[in-house]
Amino acid sequence: MLTGSVLVAAWFVSNLLLLSGTAADAFDVFVYAVAVSLLIIAFDYLFGWVERKTIAKIQKRHGSTYVGKYGILQNLADFVKLLSKEHSVPRNADKALFLITIPLMLSLSLFLIFLLPFSPGIVESNIGLGMLVVFVLLSFLPLIIFSNGFSSGNKFAAISAQRSVVMLISYEIPLILVLASVGALANSYNIAGIIGAQSQWWFVLMMPIGFVVFFIAMLAEMERPPFDMREADSELIAGWLTDVSAPYYTLALFLDYTRMFLGSLLIAILFFGGWNGPMLPPIFWLLLKTFLISFFIVIVRATTVRMRVDRLLRFGWVWLLPLSVLNLIVTYILFIG
Amino acid sequence: MVTRINIGPVHPSTHGVLRMVADIDGDTVVNVEPHIGFLHRGVEKLVETRMYMQSPVYMEKLDYVAPLSYDEIYVAAVEKAMGVEVKERAMYVRTILLELQRIASHLLWLGTMANDVGQFFTMFMWCFKDRDLVLRLLEEASGARMFYVNMRIGGLIRDLPPGFDERTIEVLGYLEKRIKKYEDYLEKNPIFVDRFKGVGVVSREMAIELGLTGPVLRGSGVSYDVRKDNPYYIYDKLNFEPQKRSEGDCFARYRVRMLEMKESIRLVKEALRNIPEGDALGMQIRLILPSAKSKIVCVSRELPRGECLMYMVSDPQRPYRLSIRAPTFINLAALSSIVKGCRTADIFAILGSLDIVMGDVDR
Repeated sequence: MLTGSVLVAAWFVSNLLLLSGTAADAFDVFVYAVAVSLLIIAFDYLFGWVERKTIAKIQKRHGSTYVGKYGILQNLADFVKLLSKEHSVPRNADKALFLITIPLMLSLSLFLIFLLPFSPGIVESNIGLGMLVVFVLLSFLPLIIFSNGFSSGNKFAAISAQRSVVMLISYEIPLILVLASVGALANSYNIAGIIGAQSQWWFVLMMPIGFVVFFIAMLAEMERPPFDMREADSELIAGWLTDVSAPYYTLALFLDYTRMFLGSLLIAILFFGGWNGPMLPPIFWLLLKTFLISFFIVIVRATTVRMRVDRLLRFGWVWLLPLSVLNLIVTYILFIG
Repeated sequence: MVTRINIGPVHPSTHGVLRMVADIDGDTVVNVEPHIGFLHRGVEKLVETRMYMQSPVYMEKLDYVAPLSYDEIYVAAVEKAMGVEVKERAMYVRTILLELQRIASHLLWLGTMANDVGQFFTMFMWCFKDRDLVLRLLEEASGARMFYVNMRIGGLIRDLPPGFDERTIEVLGYLEKRIKKYEDYLEKNPIFVDRFKGVGVVSREMAIELGLTGPVLRGSGVSYDVRKDNPYYIYDKLNFEPQKRSEGDCFARYRVRMLEMKESIRLVKEALRNIPEGDALGMQIRLILPSAKSKIVCVSRELPRGECLMYMVSDPQRPYRLSIRAPTFINLAALSSIVKGCRTADIFAILGSLDIVMGDVDR
């Protein structure tokens, strides 16, 4: 199933790039897509372990120690165990929709990562308005979560689906407004162009307000605490994943870390200068920045309390939206106008 | 449209086997009806068939978070039925152990409460680790970690071990620092304050009418504490004030418990300073004669979760009838009146702030 999602996403990306005329050879793109998928799966796996160990350290525990050196194989053991479990679909569920949504989400997230370049030499998809494409597709994720929650026929999942929509309307507009100011500052929506514009100053220094708004909105987008109301485990058991059985749940775990990778990658590209960095190869810098941002997100996870969904709506409209507008205006006055 | 959802009995934050049927309109709670009884063991009936000192083990399992307090209240009821005086030193030792038990219980509550509002186990683990230090002290005093069965008629099974007071002072000093840290950590977190302030308000009148006791009552501005108003053991000699807050919301209940922990630390220190020399041992079980009078005794104690009444009709050898006013049972009954009009997520915050233990609710 995992391979299936990867292949579907790779097939999509190669077709899209061929149609848009930015790639010469479909096979090349396909190989690139598979290589990136492997990278992401490696990240998902390793970061799952890093998260376990980091949270354990914060909580004064040991974390996984038993399987493999420093417990590094524990996630693999969990993965295999989950795959060996029975797969069942609840009777009330809309079967087709329920089964397709999680693989679809994973494909979509992978597809978004394929659209992002990793280093100046590895740019398979240098679409002119790349960043806009990424964010348009990114805002489909909550809608897919909504349809999954509703199709599962479970009431907890339905509540989670409602929350998903409330979250969507609370942070999506500030997110796009910050993106607009990034685009204005870089004078481009091309990803390589945005990174190139940051060769002198990172955008995080030029618009700190925008960064804060973007980071908070991305936390909500990635469903990380304190905005994990959709799968609030102490309230909704597992939210939209309540009735998802083991093999699909494994996929959902991969999805979780893939989305985190995607979010951290976007933050690194838009605000921390992407692959800009001295001496070492560009891809190393980009991955290092992505890793550090993900690490910070894990620390946030271990320390915050979950927000209430109506408070998030209020927070989004009362704080994030004015701040993002302010950021747009200040950026315009200081750097452009 | 009102949706009816079933929460529990197996759910991550119902603290055991509580089942709630919640009617929810959008995100607003219309009604929540707790269904209890999954952990009913008939302890009140069970003790009627046991001799007096065979029952403390059953009593302790009622409230498995603070077992010692149930142990003590039962033994106190038996003492009253038999007309036995508690030895002077034993009174001090019992007070110290009970207050330590209160600290341990509140620490566990703090961790689970943070979990209920969506903290990913960090607070829970920290509190568990600190609680373990207190449990170690109780283990030294009684020989067991969880179910102590430490009380004997007229005293205790054994006196405090040598060096207990130094170790206790050391642990308490550490805990004081930790509690300060937890307060900083939670109260400087705007999301936590937002989740708790103004949520689940119980007015003073409502609290009295619902019969709430313990920190929940004191959070609503009623200064009622059995330790102060109806003192037992050495509480009238100790210098303390029952902690109260007037807001009546979840945050007030949280503050009351935090202040109570500090107060308990002070009480233990004071009791340790003034503890007299002497004998603290109680009667050996095999030497107890069937000498209780046939009468009705009623003992009231301030448990970590509220006031507990033990109402016993005694026979010479065994209780003829025993009835327990369990504090969490009454506090849980208030849930459906508190949650009306709250948000869905607040059900769990309020439930966490009520601090229930299902063993105690179901008995």
